[in-house]
Amino acid sequence: MPGLIWTLIRTDFKTRYHGTLGGYLWALVKPLTMFAVLYTVFSVIFSMDTYYALNLIIGLFLYDFFSESTKTGLMSLHAKTFLLTKTKFPSWVVVLTSVSSALITVVIFSIAVCAYISIFRRHLSFLEISCFGLYVFLFLVIIIGISLAGSVLFLRYRDINQIWELLMQAGFFFTPIVYPLDIVPHKFHFFMYAWLPTAVIQFSRSVLVKGEIPTITAHLMLLGAAAAVLFAGASLYCRLAPRSLERL
Amino acid sequence: MVALKVLEIHKSFFIPAVKLETVREHILNSFRLRKYLKDGRELKVLSGINFSVKAGETMGIMGRNASGKSTLLKIISGIYQPDRGTVECAMPITPILDLGVGWNPELDAIDNIYLLGTVMGLTLHELKTAKDEILEFAGLQEFSRLELKHYSSGMAMRLAYSVAFRAVRGLLILDEVFAVGDMEFKEKCYQRYEEIRQAGHTVLMVSHDPSEIGRFCDRAILLEGGRIVQEGSGQEIAGAYIRSLSAEKCQQQS
Repeated sequence: MPGLIWTLIRTDFKTRYHGTLGGYLWALVKPLTMFAVLYTVFSVIFSMDTYYALNLIIGLFLYDFFSESTKTGLMSLHAKTFLLTKTKFPSWVVVLTSVSSALITVVIFSIAVCAYISIFRRHLSFLEISCFGLYVFLFLVIIIGISLAGSVLFLRYRDINQIWELLMQAGFFFTPIVYPLDIVPHKFHFFMYAWLPTAVIQFSRSVLVKGEIPTITAHLMLLGAAAAVLFAGASLYCRLAPRSLERL
Repeated sequence: MVALKVLEIHKSFFIPAVKLETVREHILNSFRLRKYLKDGRELKVLSGINFSVKAGETMGIMGRNASGKSTLLKIISGIYQPDRGTVECAMPITPILDLGVGWNPELDAIDNIYLLGTVMGLTLHELKTAKDEILEFAGLQEFSRLELKHYSSGMAMRLAYSVAFRAVRGLLILDEVFAVGDMEFKEKCYQRYEEIRQAGHTVLMVSHDPSEIGRFCDRAILLEGGRIVQEGSGQEIAGAYIRSLSAEKCQQQS
């Protein structure tokens, strides 16, 4: 199984950058350029508060990771029809590996943003970096849960991807990415945190930019929510996948 | 020892008059298309299939198009679920229902060997040691770094064949995969297949070629309309298949 997962990820990665001038460098260049451009625009050209610029960049990148990987995950089973209808194959592996490309981008971005903050802003402790790593991991768990459910639902309802894309657009403005959460009345915060990207983005900003680690309770709630999404997605997948694959 | 036991397998597909595939269509249906939902027909593909295969035996399956052969193989392989009945298999299954499943035309032969091999259950270590042998069997050593999109279809199939036969473990399921390459390569494949049989593997094969069933199968079944109409030795069933084809031809002419 590990060999299969590794080969599928490697193939996807190789195919994506195959025949390009920069080759694998593109995987590195894309998130780094994006980081540099966004930082220059918001911090240097618009002379915005550095903290605002960093908060904005962290929010944009993490939300983009969520949006791109769930959209790919949703289509993953359909995209591998040729494989799933012709051989006995653990189909969940296809869903799992579909998020690899977006994950590589977010990992490179995470290293870049941590390096930038450590060098130019303030020292990041090991605990803060670990916490941020945990949030990205939990975000990945949430994404896999959603992708598992979405991928089998897509085989039954072929416009789920359109609906999800609309939801992603609306979610972008519902999530405090371009505006700070403080401008929203406190009584609505619970609903905003119930939309899990908000929690992951706010927690990440808190440890990286402010240097404040959220409470244990907050961590446990995020952990519980991620586990619940994965469990729900996996349950739906196990229930629907055997018959849904006949619709491919 | 019984390697495979197929008990009372039934499978049908519902073909609706109106196919509801989107959320919008499902919502609209709940208002005004409800009557169409009931319309449709049940396409019965398999009805009460029973047979067993002993360990080390080669079982053939013959039948005209749409007799349910491929659906039966997919159920045995675990790709489709039966409506009723069970499949009991005492060993791991290697299904080869199509050659070159999952390969990527943008990648070269070696990368595709890794891709196809892992999909078929081989480990990276096994593939690393076997890749030269796989290329040699396919006669493609000098093209190992050529992208698959530049291969002729025969070359690509030879490569797929070599990987597939390397991945065999337990019960081998073959769905009409012998129609590959030139006569020389075909004979090479037959020899490899004989080696697999002699190594004690159990084989379940579908073929439209009576000579293949007669030559390789210890026993065979003839499917018609999703039912087993005859069971016997490979040669008996090959003969019955030819007779059923001729009878149909005579009927059409008259």
